[in-house]
Amino acid sequence: MRWNYILITAAATVLLAPAPATAQVDTSEWKCEYCPFEDGYRADYEAGGSYVSEDAARFGNGTGLDEKGAYADVGGEGRYVSNGSEFHWYAEDLGLDSRVFALGFGKAGRYDINLGYRELPYRRFGDTQTVYSGNSEILNLPPGWVAAGTTGGMTQLSSSLAPRNIETDRQILDFGVGVAATSSLSFYADYRRQQREATGIMAGSGFTNATYLPRPVDDYTDTMDLGAKFSLGDLSLNLAYYGSFYRNELESLTWDNPFTPLPGADQGRLALEPENDFQQVSVSGVYRARSFDTIVAFSFASGRGEQNASLLPYTINPILVTSPLPATSLDAEVDTSNYALTVTSRPLDKLSLRVAYRYDERDNNTPIYSWTRVITDSFLSGTTEQNTPYSFERGRLNLSGTYRLFDTVTISGGYDRTDYDRDFQEVASQTEDAGWGKLRLRPNRNVDVTVKGGASRREVDAYDTDVGLTFGQNPLMRKYNLAHRNRQFAELRVSASLTETPVSIAASYLWAEDDYSKSDLGLIEGSDDRFTVDFSWAATESASIYVTAGSEVIESVQIGSETFAAPVWQADHEDEFVFYGGGFTVAGMDDKLDLTFDYTRSEGETDISYSGMAVSATPLPDLESTMDALRMTLRYSLSERFDLNLGARYERFKAEDWALQDVAPDTVPSLLTMGANPYDYDVWVFSIGFRYSVGADSES
Amino acid sequence: MRPLLKLVAAVMLTSLAVGTANGQESGYSREGADTCLSCHEEPLTFALFRGAHAVPTDPDGPFGHGQLQCEACHGPGGEHSARVRRGEERPQISVHFGADTLTSVADRNAVCLDCHSADIGFGWHGNGHDLNDVACADCHTSHAARDPVLMTATQPEVCFDCHQEQRAAMLKPYAHPVRQGKMACSDCHSTHGDTSEWQFAQQTLNQTCFDCHAEKRGPYLWEHAPVAEDCSTCHESHGSNHPGMLTMRAPMLCQSCHSQEGHPSIPADGDGLPSGMPSQFMLGQNCMNCHTQPHGSNHPSGSRLMR
Repeated sequence: MRWNYILITAAATVLLAPAPATAQVDTSEWKCEYCPFEDGYRADYEAGGSYVSEDAARFGNGTGLDEKGAYADVGGEGRYVSNGSEFHWYAEDLGLDSRVFALGFGKAGRYDINLGYRELPYRRFGDTQTVYSGNSEILNLPPGWVAAGTTGGMTQLSSSLAPRNIETDRQILDFGVGVAATSSLSFYADYRRQQREATGIMAGSGFTNATYLPRPVDDYTDTMDLGAKFSLGDLSLNLAYYGSFYRNELESLTWDNPFTPLPGADQGRLALEPENDFQQVSVSGVYRARSFDTIVAFSFASGRGEQNASLLPYTINPILVTSPLPATSLDAEVDTSNYALTVTSRPLDKLSLRVAYRYDERDNNTPIYSWTRVITDSFLSGTTEQNTPYSFERGRLNLSGTYRLFDTVTISGGYDRTDYDRDFQEVASQTEDAGWGKLRLRPNRNVDVTVKGGASRREVDAYDTDVGLTFGQNPLMRKYNLAHRNRQFAELRVSASLTETPVSIAASYLWAEDDYSKSDLGLIEGSDDRFTVDFSWAATESASIYVTAGSEVIESVQIGSETFAAPVWQADHEDEFVFYGGGFTVAGMDDKLDLTFDYTRSEGETDISYSGMAVSATPLPDLESTMDALRMTLRYSLSERFDLNLGARYERFKAEDWALQDVAPDTVPSLLTMGANPYDYDVWVFSIGFRYSVGADSES
Repeated sequence: MRPLLKLVAAVMLTSLAVGTANGQESGYSREGADTCLSCHEEPLTFALFRGAHAVPTDPDGPFGHGQLQCEACHGPGGEHSARVRRGEERPQISVHFGADTLTSVADRNAVCLDCHSADIGFGWHGNGHDLNDVACADCHTSHAARDPVLMTATQPEVCFDCHQEQRAAMLKPYAHPVRQGKMACSDCHSTHGDTSEWQFAQQTLNQTCFDCHAEKRGPYLWEHAPVAEDCSTCHESHGSNHPGMLTMRAPMLCQSCHSQEGHPSIPADGDGLPSGMPSQFMLGQNCMNCHTQPHGSNHPSGSRLMR
């Protein structure tokens, strides 16, 4: 009885509880007569053209402006609103290979339907050449090709080379629907197809030589996101399904061997990426408990990845007699589990606490078979080996707390622990403990200073060198992602602004240092220093200036051994990166003119030096890259509805890269390359365009 | 026990009564948005009417029937809109989102979350943005036809305002096409928070990478262990000085983990350049000249990732 009594009372409390504030305010006289609600059609149409001054593949990444010449371009956006329903469209760079187009229809608070299409060009090399013809699964040498033991002996090489750019066009189609069934229940469904058509570089290896192949890419990935979001009081839930289905039109790549073949090895064949599926269901949510302002967030996801593509034969060498494959397809299967729980609470007004635990598992259930490898389609290995389906479990615990000492001072601290368990790797169990502290000072609302520092220690139960011995690994090698490691890190962030004189400055410095003190071979040290500073000044209501700069230095030390013995050589790496730039914006000058100017210079440099060798190493030249990027735009309003847009863009990029420098197709006797050169270009892009606006309020 | 039950009921119903009494909201303006717009004529204010927040047919939107219009987000404006004596400073609106705001981050965010708690997912509370007192309005512009942070081309600059190191990394010679305005931070990160470590859009780093690079997902017959576990073992996703966004120049990167006797372990010094004895092990794609399948191979003879 007594529970019924309480339940009835509780129900009465809920049902008769005060309604939200909206019900308490008399809005009957709130006519909103001055509210310029949108109604009708409004759009901006843009058309224009650009001229690109030079062929430059890399400049075409993301822009589609990789070839010298003129480009026409069309874009714009529009919106039609009527009685709360809305139709909108958006177009960008329709004349380029980086085009974007989107359509949407919906009713606010009820539903929305969206369709999008975009292309993303990736231009890697525009100066490469190949002796192979075709763009299919079989690459043939030209008739009359004379094979040789080295590239220098390939007498038909120079006359057979033909240009072949290395580039990818990625096309992305999106379709999404969202429906709000009630104010607390909504559904969504999104479908996306990413399709790639490309020519890439892939090497085909022989026993002692290799050949660069212009490999075709013709694949697509269908992705689906389905879900429902539900709210009930203080509880919000999201039930979701994620499916990703990769399909490859090409199963393998076969090429004529340009080198003098071992018996029967006139051709080689490699496997291309197998079709695979990944599907995942998840439930996630958040519960807001009233006591101590406590929030409980959680996520449970369970997924499965599958791959069952038909397996190729061990070899296409007709002379070699191989044992039958243990399976015609792998029936590979990986189960994933991802669980997370986060609790944040404020037991005291000045104290907040956070506890988070996350568990990730990749459980690879792929069958293990014994395989008898054929080495580079040339001869039998004579040994049997088993595939090693890698699995791991990872648990991460984060504990942290923040206490407000004073109104202007906050201190935080935390402890993080990460545990790994792995199969088939040198380290079966690994634990990392980290502690950190943070001090935040806000002497006033315009100044914010944060200092943070900490350290971590990664321990392994044992490093099983027998795992690597199977592959001839030196037992002194310690892989850096598995090895014992001590890490220290610190950061300083400062931001300040003056509201009366609208100037703001923000700077950051980050430092981290890794010490693999128990490693004899491999990476033994690493460090990272980063510094950035931004300055901006809103000189007037319509004009602003900014300056930005930064640098990063990544250093590492590795130890190597040419033999199955003690350390022999040491390599010191220093990656430097510096950038600086600035610009200004002037908007609405005389209500007619907008101007923008941006300039950035970035410089990368990598120095690698060797020491410790019996005979001094020949120094490597530095790897260098320099980029200057400048962009200017001008918009001039010819009339209330008609704008003139002018633009100029300049990019200079120059790289020094010993991996590519002076490496012609026949430079390396045992490697037939495609002769790519380091990037070196100066490109100007001049553009002119017009924007025409229609609609009631288009003048703004 | 019965007196105790009565006490519980009394407390609950009393709280109900008190709540109702307190719920008699006062302090709102006389005419709602019309009161506000009679003074606030600046373009920024009117830009609101081009966006999703000013749709009168949206029953749950600020301008839906019976809703509180401007004061739905800015709080009661009665005091702010009332007459002030000469020389007296006009009191700030209850919830002010501008740079000179006196409203706490928590109070500002509470206004947004009141309607958008379901939209932002489940990871906001306790995530990096929340713990660092980031206000919704620090990133979002509600008075606009298009919120820049929701547009691929303009979103990164909003994020880079705080994430300066990431902006620097995107300027490195090998980076995702963020600088070109064709990729957004939110393509990889769930900016409102997630229980994943770096607020990834998917459950893990690898699942996020495989969303676009599904061809590398496998599971392969012959796996490369770090690929199955953590792409960042070899790749720096925000940008690198090295092709393929590798964390270190190959072949040295590969030699950080592989030290088999013979060619894999020879130091790649200047002798291997075209001016010396051009080396297959360091020029071009170096190790990947032969081990062409670093992400895994599905070829029965591919155990060394050469097929």
